[in-house]
Amino acid sequence: MAKLTRERKNQTVFRVLGEAQQHGLILNRAGSANGPECVIGGRVYRNFGSCSYMALEAHPALRAGAAAALEAYGTQFHFSRAYVESPLYQELENALEAITGRPTLVAASTTLAHLSALPVLVQDDDVVLIDQFAHASLHMATELLKGTIVERVRHNRMDVLEDKIKAHRRSGRTIWYVCDGVYSMLGDFADFAALKELLARYPELHLYIDDAHAVSWAGNHGRGVALTHLGDSERVVVALSLNKAFSGAGGALAVPHVGVRTRIRRCGGTMVFSGPIQPPMLGASLASAKLHLDPGFAALQAELEQRLRVAREAIARHHLPVATTDSTPIVMVQFDSAERARSTVKEMMERGYYCCFSSFPAVPIDRPSLRFTLSRHNDLADVPRFVENLAEVVARRRETSAVAVAAL
Amino acid sequence: MRLNSTVSDEETREAARGDRAEIDALIKALYEVISFDEGGEPDWRRMQALFSRHARITRITPEGTDYLDLAGFQELAKETFDLGVYTRFFEIEVLRDERRFGGLAHVLSAYETRHSPAAVEPFARGVNSLQLIRERGEWKVLSLFWDEERDDNPLALKALFDRGETNGKANS
Repeated sequence: MAKLTRERKNQTVFRVLGEAQQHGLILNRAGSANGPECVIGGRVYRNFGSCSYMALEAHPALRAGAAAALEAYGTQFHFSRAYVESPLYQELENALEAITGRPTLVAASTTLAHLSALPVLVQDDDVVLIDQFAHASLHMATELLKGTIVERVRHNRMDVLEDKIKAHRRSGRTIWYVCDGVYSMLGDFADFAALKELLARYPELHLYIDDAHAVSWAGNHGRGVALTHLGDSERVVVALSLNKAFSGAGGALAVPHVGVRTRIRRCGGTMVFSGPIQPPMLGASLASAKLHLDPGFAALQAELEQRLRVAREAIARHHLPVATTDSTPIVMVQFDSAERARSTVKEMMERGYYCCFSSFPAVPIDRPSLRFTLSRHNDLADVPRFVENLAEVVARRRETSAVAVAAL
Repeated sequence: MRLNSTVSDEETREAARGDRAEIDALIKALYEVISFDEGGEPDWRRMQALFSRHARITRITPEGTDYLDLAGFQELAKETFDLGVYTRFFEIEVLRDERRFGGLAHVLSAYETRHSPAAVEPFARGVNSLQLIRERGEWKVLSLFWDEERDDNPLALKALFDRGETNGKANS
């Protein structure tokens, strides 16, 4: 039987990433903190590559929260959580419950939350349908579901999803659809309107959504897009990130019932056996959660929203070939070839802008891209300037490319 | 020396023209069936009709060589689509060298792969080596064998095809 072996996959990834590393585009070390600018290889860049969308990592409240926890508990509180956990966990989970409107369970990372939750939530006879571009950590977690039927669904194809639901519901099985709220490499949303309809139509359907890239900047108190659209459903579990825009550490699960929370807390492998988040970062996360609950937080979200709007207007004005028009802080500009994407990123870096080269295996071979992100770190006036520079590079390289092809 | 003195020159030329047209149609069909747009996939049934049931498919990659039959190739391709390795795929022939003798033909076919027919440049290039066989009056693919252009394996089309009978740009 022809199969892509693990060895072959690793060899390919090793080669492809090695090429990108040789070009100085990945596996770099910073020479500065994250902020409006970043230092890489000794050079200062305007920062269009950070996932700290809300730019809270240097916020005085978060610094103070981390310092207070450090003062109170030292650098670590290293019991197994199976026996004893830091009291900061309880405070943080209470604050997250106020944000999400649901029972919430904190994990050491979003990936570890998936690794705990999915094997507990999904029963042996259930069926798991997973979006092909769901975050790698979700695919990793579904590999733990030995014996369970796991099928991939083409990205955001709700018609294909429905066909598969119809096919599997005949067997009376519970069906889980696993997806992202905001896809980290394409920057688009899940189709929440269609998912809501499918939930209403098929009582067997449950959703498990990784909303890591939507926390903080989207929704009331920063609860993200998944809970904003589907938070009232009893059949939806949402995983959140306390890193990225939240600027703390760890991940969290927002579950529909306390009973679900208890099951994952007791039975989730990484809840029992993995190390805890240490006190300074629990303190930072708690401070961040309190900031999210503050009535003034919406004004911070509006600042990012303004940058997204300005960027999207500039993108439309310059007809940049982007993967989606969804208004998220992740923008993928697509190219015909990996070489074209790579050389464009390099030229943008020469112009003093840090942005990311994105190619297979992070995205399909046919979608080599330049990925840039927007955050509150970005000066508002810098956003259209970045897009204009990018449009200029793209247009010039397109002309060069057309001439080269014509000469073949 | 003529092997069959009952066949006239004109009949021989007519048969050769027929073969050339049939082979041309087969190669064009091969590129068509493996191409697909977003949400689609190759035309597996039509692909099967183009291959001999004894066919082998061989691909060289930097990580190793895959030796497959048609079913194995289709299984591997479906897995890569499931994994999201490709979401769309348009392959076109850019140059061909073709030799025939009796019921066998050998075709060297340079290709370009694009994400859409409108893409300005390809994301991959390479060469397909095809062995064709005449089975029950029809030309079929007996072997499809390819390698891709890489930094350490540049595709110098002119040098490669000028050594043989070059039919020019196949799609022009």
